[in-house]
Amino acid sequence: MLKDIPPRSALAGLALATLALLSAACALAAAPKRDFIITAAKPDRLFVIDAAARTIKSEFRIPEANGFLGAIVPSPDGRIAYILVNKMESISGIDLDSGKEVFRANLSSPGERVKCLFAFDVTPDGKELIVYEVPVKLGLSEYVVEDTRFAVFNTRAGVDAKPVRQFPAPRRVHTLLSRKDGKSFYAIGFDLYEFDRASGKQLNQKGVRNWDYANHSTPDLLAFWPVSEPTGVFATPIYSSVPPASGTGDPVPKTALMTLDLTSGDLQYHDFEDTSALIFSAVLSPAKTEAFGVYSQLSKIDTRTNTLAKRVDLDHTYYAVLVSNDGKEVYAAGAMCDVTFFDSTTLEKKGNVKLTGCTDQAITSPRVIRR
Amino acid sequence: MSGMKPTNKKAELLLDAAEAGHVPEVVAMESVAGCATTFDPGWEVDPFGGVASLCQPMEADLYGCSDPCWWPAQVPDTMNTYPDWDAGKPSAQGDWRELGSVFPKK
Repeated sequence: MLKDIPPRSALAGLALATLALLSAACALAAAPKRDFIITAAKPDRLFVIDAAARTIKSEFRIPEANGFLGAIVPSPDGRIAYILVNKMESISGIDLDSGKEVFRANLSSPGERVKCLFAFDVTPDGKELIVYEVPVKLGLSEYVVEDTRFAVFNTRAGVDAKPVRQFPAPRRVHTLLSRKDGKSFYAIGFDLYEFDRASGKQLNQKGVRNWDYANHSTPDLLAFWPVSEPTGVFATPIYSSVPPASGTGDPVPKTALMTLDLTSGDLQYHDFEDTSALIFSAVLSPAKTEAFGVYSQLSKIDTRTNTLAKRVDLDHTYYAVLVSNDGKEVYAAGAMCDVTFFDSTTLEKKGNVKLTGCTDQAITSPRVIRR
Repeated sequence: MSGMKPTNKKAELLLDAAEAGHVPEVVAMESVAGCATTFDPGWEVDPFGGVASLCQPMEADLYGCSDPCWWPAQVPDTMNTYPDWDAGKPSAQGDWRELGSVFPKK
């Protein structure tokens, strides 16, 4: 007992304990952060993959996923993964250390079926989830399509979360992205809309379908992989066509990279090739000098010259692409049951992790956290 | 409505609704119901007029289309209409032999 220890020894013990604590704190502070890939696979699995070690660090079961796994949104501190489940009718928050469900919002209620078509995000302070809702009233002999809306949930509301605010939303929204200042958020649909987080008031509207890109046709956009890490800039391929240079003949299809800076709000489009391959999703390198796009090929785009820098064939189609925080590796995921690692310079395959049971990731949107 | 006899399911619903006091909820159908917000041509042809740019293999895209009701004419819609079509078959490449055809519910 402490009272039996001579004072000098007690002091020495205290000093030693303090040193040990300081040492542990320094070790923690010095411990290099690592990239972890968060992905999900049918029927109800959430995976945490150690990117450098090429291993599955954790595998969790998501309650009542009902065979569906959609967009994944990590909390800003990387502790919780929010994932769209249950045929797009629920969002589940899974603690990435314990695997426990710590948040659940079931969007539907008796008489009203509510789907979230991919679009939701967490606010930068981690306190709220903003969810795009597509509600349908279920009558006895017909469905009545109701107005779309945004619903805001408190992330500390537990496993029976109810919206704390709702406000009107445009139709056809498929991506929702919080701005870095936390005051507003973007909704990407036919156009790019910006809304005030607190009031729901529309603050801005910029052209997507109604873009102002000289000489270009109305574009086509498939953007439901809400990835903006590590740069804070959302990037996606966008397709259109321009008249032929000769003035006669068929229009020339063009692939552009659309980027949206979530800090400054800067929205840009730049053609980088006459469309010669499909790209489903894209991500910007940490230096923002390159972008990577994926589908059945992996493409590298030089964003300084807006040209295609390199393209390699893949073993199979991937829906989603991520980049490491140091910019040295590209991760391809989604669709089937594996995550593949590529050298970002050569696009050479460097590794592969197969998910347990080799079940499909389908349309989930894998993400990278750094811890 | 005691003198009327329902001859189809819609009419039966109307009869039930009358008894429950929910007649205003039974209205004529105005448009084709279903999950058809996507008008892409489907799996027949890619944007270049061939098939090489469709997903490879097709199993890579199977649940990516059934889950969001992307091409309901080609792949059963598990979002609303056939939610259990892929139940117990979490791997399209491993379980494709067990994925059956679907038929309109009577």
